Amino acid sequence: MLSALDRRHTIAPPGYSRWLIPPAALAVHLCIGQVYATSVYKNSLIAHFDTSQTAIGVIFSIAIVMLGLSAAVAGTWVEANGPRKAMFVSACFWAAGFLVGSLGIATTQLWLLYLGYGLLGGIGLGIGYISPVSTLIKWFPDRPGLATGLAIMGFGGGAMVASPLSRQLLSFYDPAYDPANASSTASGSALVWLFVTLGLGYFVIMMFGVANVRVPAQDWRPAGFDPASVAAKPLVTTANVSAANAVKTRSFWLLWVVLFCNVTAGIGILEQASPMIQDFFRDNGTSAVTVAAAGGFVGLLSLFNMAGRFVWSSTSDVIGRKPIYMVYLGVGMVLYALLALVGQTATALFVLLACVILSFYGGGFATVPAYLRDLFGTFQVGAIHGRLLTAWSAAGIAGPLIVNGFLDAQGKPGTLTAAAYRPALFTMVGVLAVGFVANLLVRPVPQRYHEPPAEQSVDEDATAQRSGTR
Amino acid sequence: MSDDSRNGQQTRLWISWLVVAALLGYGVAQTLITAAKLFTH
Repeated sequence: MLSALDRRHTIAPPGYSRWLIPPAALAVHLCIGQVYATSVYKNSLIAHFDTSQTAIGVIFSIAIVMLGLSAAVAGTWVEANGPRKAMFVSACFWAAGFLVGSLGIATTQLWLLYLGYGLLGGIGLGIGYISPVSTLIKWFPDRPGLATGLAIMGFGGGAMVASPLSRQLLSFYDPAYDPANASSTASGSALVWLFVTLGLGYFVIMMFGVANVRVPAQDWRPAGFDPASVAAKPLVTTANVSAANAVKTRSFWLLWVVLFCNVTAGIGILEQASPMIQDFFRDNGTSAVTVAAAGGFVGLLSLFNMAGRFVWSSTSDVIGRKPIYMVYLGVGMVLYALLALVGQTATALFVLLACVILSFYGGGFATVPAYLRDLFGTFQVGAIHGRLLTAWSAAGIAGPLIVNGFLDAQGKPGTLTAAAYRPALFTMVGVLAVGFVANLLVRPVPQRYHEPPAEQSVDEDATAQRSGTR
Repeated sequence: MSDDSRNGQQTRLWISWLVVAALLGYGVAQTLITAAKLFTH
């Protein structure tokens, strides 16, 4: 039965609509994007396990580290076995993560939550994140930025779905739980049922993706598409580079630095958003921004983070990948400096600057697969993308470390003002400047790294045969 | 592609986009309600 998942059974018949692929990708990304909504039940888990913030926070950290590792390690496997098998495996790991996690909650065994949601769920995250990328690029050679932007927008949207849904489910399973009250926590049994419901629900939705995803036939092209028109653009190659060779190139590591810098800067704001807006407008120890309004600010940032993924990535199809990263990083530097210097003068100005910065953060994630396609071709772009995502894991550690390190030196939470954020914000301007220079230095990949055209298809066959997919 | 399979594909297209639009729409609507608190509090 599992042979139905093989790449050879997923080649699209003539006339198959390529517009079935973005919703298939979205079905996966909307589910795995839940990982950014774990804060909703964090306090309930702390109360249930009677443990520290750090002990529960580790669950999220394990999941994100596993995302980077599994995307890097399993990238070549995903390319060889095709998107359907990869999505199915991702759904199994993701759902199993929730179910094993629910067992951990039911038996009060925290290590089972680490193993389930953190380890198994993290593997599902990594494989699920990269599984539709190369397929989308192959279906949309004329608009790769739009296609990957649509899918990766789903990852941003996933948290927006999971946060309110989790609150509503917890209230349903535990009527005594009040989501509007920050000190209210849900019972252990409500948490168990939440995890079971999410695990099973996400599995069903991800199966929509598994059922619909197809790879295009080798010689398929969109109607009216001329590959020469794409290759004529700067930095765009018609050659192909393997994942093993890509990591030997200077351009890969320059792009790694670009992604690392863009994500580090964005995470710095995202992680600190709610206290930051309150601190910026604090006068004589009292903030003009209420806790509820700060929550609204975080919601607005999520919307811009998601919209930026689609809007900026689609724009990159028109203006090119290198110029759009010059915007993310160059304009980002100006916006960070403005935030540090004049952000405290008006709430509307602060919100506007932060929202545009977050849209660039999202745009950076969504545009990078198309940038990789331009530089390395479509041959193993998913596997190369997987290796590049280690920059995300590294930035996930560096961004909060930079911001929290500076803020800890400035005073205690609840007493800080806008001035306390200036050193951290100016450091982010420097981080973005490093990324800006790295982006300027990106050059086409030297020919010695290209796959010989005749051997490339043989290699694809061999890879698939080794994996038993043909 | 036959008419039957073309119709089947159209149905599949509609259902797929409706499912993701419903999920995204729910998320965006809920987030907008939360975001509105920035301007009302």
